[in-house]
Amino acid sequence: MSSSLILQAEAIDKSYPGVHALDHVDFDLYEGEVHTLLGENGAGKSTFMKIISGSLRKDSGRIFLRGQEVEIVSPMHARELGIGMVYQELSVIPGLSVVENIFLGRLPKRKPFGTVDWSEAISQAKRILDDLGVDIDPRERVGNLSVGEQQLTEIAKTLSMNAQILLLDEPSSALSDEERERLFNIMRGLQEKGVAFIYVSHRLDEVPQIGQRVTVLRDGAKIGTLPVDQVDEAALIRMMVGRELGEKFPKEEIERGKELLRVEGLTVKGVLNDLSLSLHEGEIVGIFGVLGAGRTDFARALFGIDPIDGGEVFLDGRKVEISSPSKAIELGLGYLTEDRKDGLVLRLPIPVNITLASLKRICQFGFLKHGEERASTEKYVKELDIHTPKLDQRVEFLSGGNQQKVALAKWLCCKAKILIFDEPTRGIDVGAKVEVFRLMNDLAKEGVGIIMISSEMPEVLAMADRILVMARGSFVAEYAADQASQEDIMRDAVAR
Amino acid sequence: MAENPSGSSVSGLGWVRRWVATPELRVRFGIRAILMFAVVLFVWYVSTAPRFFSLTNATNVGARTAPGIIVAVAQTMVIISAGIDLSVGAILAFSGSLASVAYCYWGVPVLPAVLLGLAAGALLGCINGLIITKGRIPDFIATLGMMGTARGVALILTGGLPVPSHLTAVTLKAYLPREIIWMGSGDLLGFPAGALIGLLVVAAGWVILMHTGFGRALFAVGGNREAARVSGINVDRTKIMVYTLSGLLSGLAGLVLVGRMNSANALMADPVNLESISAVVIGGTNLFGGEGGVIGTLFGALIMGILSNVLNLHNVQDFAQKVFMGLLIIGVVLFDQLRRRYGA
Repeated sequence: MSSSLILQAEAIDKSYPGVHALDHVDFDLYEGEVHTLLGENGAGKSTFMKIISGSLRKDSGRIFLRGQEVEIVSPMHARELGIGMVYQELSVIPGLSVVENIFLGRLPKRKPFGTVDWSEAISQAKRILDDLGVDIDPRERVGNLSVGEQQLTEIAKTLSMNAQILLLDEPSSALSDEERERLFNIMRGLQEKGVAFIYVSHRLDEVPQIGQRVTVLRDGAKIGTLPVDQVDEAALIRMMVGRELGEKFPKEEIERGKELLRVEGLTVKGVLNDLSLSLHEGEIVGIFGVLGAGRTDFARALFGIDPIDGGEVFLDGRKVEISSPSKAIELGLGYLTEDRKDGLVLRLPIPVNITLASLKRICQFGFLKHGEERASTEKYVKELDIHTPKLDQRVEFLSGGNQQKVALAKWLCCKAKILIFDEPTRGIDVGAKVEVFRLMNDLAKEGVGIIMISSEMPEVLAMADRILVMARGSFVAEYAADQASQEDIMRDAVAR
Repeated sequence: MAENPSGSSVSGLGWVRRWVATPELRVRFGIRAILMFAVVLFVWYVSTAPRFFSLTNATNVGARTAPGIIVAVAQTMVIISAGIDLSVGAILAFSGSLASVAYCYWGVPVLPAVLLGLAAGALLGCINGLIITKGRIPDFIATLGMMGTARGVALILTGGLPVPSHLTAVTLKAYLPREIIWMGSGDLLGFPAGALIGLLVVAAGWVILMHTGFGRALFAVGGNREAARVSGINVDRTKIMVYTLSGLLSGLAGLVLVGRMNSANALMADPVNLESISAVVIGGTNLFGGEGGVIGTLFGALIMGILSNVLNLHNVQDFAQKVFMGLLIIGVVLFDQLRRRYGA
């Protein structure tokens, strides 16, 4: 490459309690280059981007801009240095116009009263948008634009601050093919003007389409950087998932019983397409998919939280209508939500949370049976080994792992026969993870059927009897646990 | 605060030094000192009020605060479920007026008239709940609309005149019955009946919140609506029920107030909306839902009632009283915030 080095990161290191998020990562970027950053969920892509864009401080390592060492202290500072970040979740304000978004907080003013110089602002915005080659009226309310156009607005905003380096965090995840193609064209145009991009993606098919080099991260470490024309998909998948599977997951062999649940053709328009699955007593079915594949939408639809447009559900061979969560609970389902906070009332004490889904059972003529509630609480605090200074502790003061156990105890307390675990190990430490897996084994042994939703491939591989791979709202493949390889699953999950 | 095991200090003021050793402890000490000062001031002010400790005055305070306490209990339950009811005052006036009009002008017997008033209150509350849940309209707006509507209907019903009155086109069939008057002005073995009803409502509210599944659902819905729903609690039904209960209790408060004033009118109890919210807030219930209780609210209502009474006894002008009441609310909540922030 003939152009000059614009950004160089040397041995960037960042740790959180219990997680080594970035392990001495080196990275460089040339003027006018698109450098793709690939990796699984939790590989460290976002952490790296946040450090470069100033919203996170590195623990150690050095960053050079055009050969000058810099210490990026804030997003504002990064912007002054010419580094602009376009976030995965758009940060435009839908109620304001395009021009107001582009010049947010820096609208050109007119003397002497400091009123906004609208004609100047609009003509400047028009110039930037024209340079991008997009046809958006600067006066349009951003909320009326398509997602792709909103993203372009954000890119325009970043460019208006004279950004020379643009960080794009999974920009294509919400775009249609057409919009994506347009984005790529615009990126190519900007490249010619010398703008450099770091492009985060987990869609392998994009790699050959845009970008000169690709860097793969895995578990916080850099696996390698290669020119795009020298790699194929298979090689990239190997780099992304080629880790050793540890023995930390104590999966036990359990005899599979009769069929508990059968789902046929579950559909939510535009979100879930024709999903079918069956679940037996003592079985753990894993659902793996990347972000946005529709895993949680499936759980919510099955549990009666979101309405479904089509499909049938059978429990013990009997057709049922699950129209609400209370109906689902009545039928013996339980749903450990993806975000613990959606399943717990943090301000309330442990016993209240544990009995929350069993209110009918612990009430007699509408009055609470406090003795029974206390007994249940004592039982589950002991069984699940929930660490708490007192039984009546508010859940908000417990650690993440213990909160997760309280959320689980809630479903054990209402004697759920079918449990949906949505990312059961998110945000809890390794020790607590192993305990959660042990509990899953114990439940399966008792004949509970478990649907385990996860984006952590090693966990799914270790715990599930069968694995369904989900992509864009469909189950695209199914594997028996002993026949699945990480490479196969990842290929199915990211295939277009 | 942790005990100091050594306990010895050279100077006699060692304990002060220990208390104010760090900036944080100094702030904490300051907060406590101001709180103590406020309590002492309040007690002194109350105890120096002429005739405060007389039986007449106690009875008077009890009877006066009763309708407010009843409404505040209802408001507590609504706020715990993360709602707010701005129509309590209007429903109170409507129910009180309706029962009085039914008895005095329509010739309805006393028990059906009272039940009519209560049922009307419950119905309006239920409508609030339906609008909020089925119409997906924010609690604030739905009850704001009900506030105007119920007040207006009450004005139409009474023609804007007090009930009973000789000025209406309809002939007056009877003056208010002694049963209703007893609720506001009577007594049971010397204990004012209104205050008794108020205390019974507080007790009922406590039982509902602490000992029933419905009460538990209120806390859950207010603390985390989504978690409550995912846990199988029928959020809509819970909200409709709490607003219905709020309407019913507002109606009851209306009857007590009519009994105390020996007259109903469509414009009565105008300040009760905000007073009930004040009592709830002073009583420590979280305005965003999920935590709180009626015992705190009882004290909140009593503090306001006593302060108002004491200011009267000290002959403080009515206009200035409003200033005190406003400052009281800000002061109490500000203190609560500081206390939480510094763990004092």
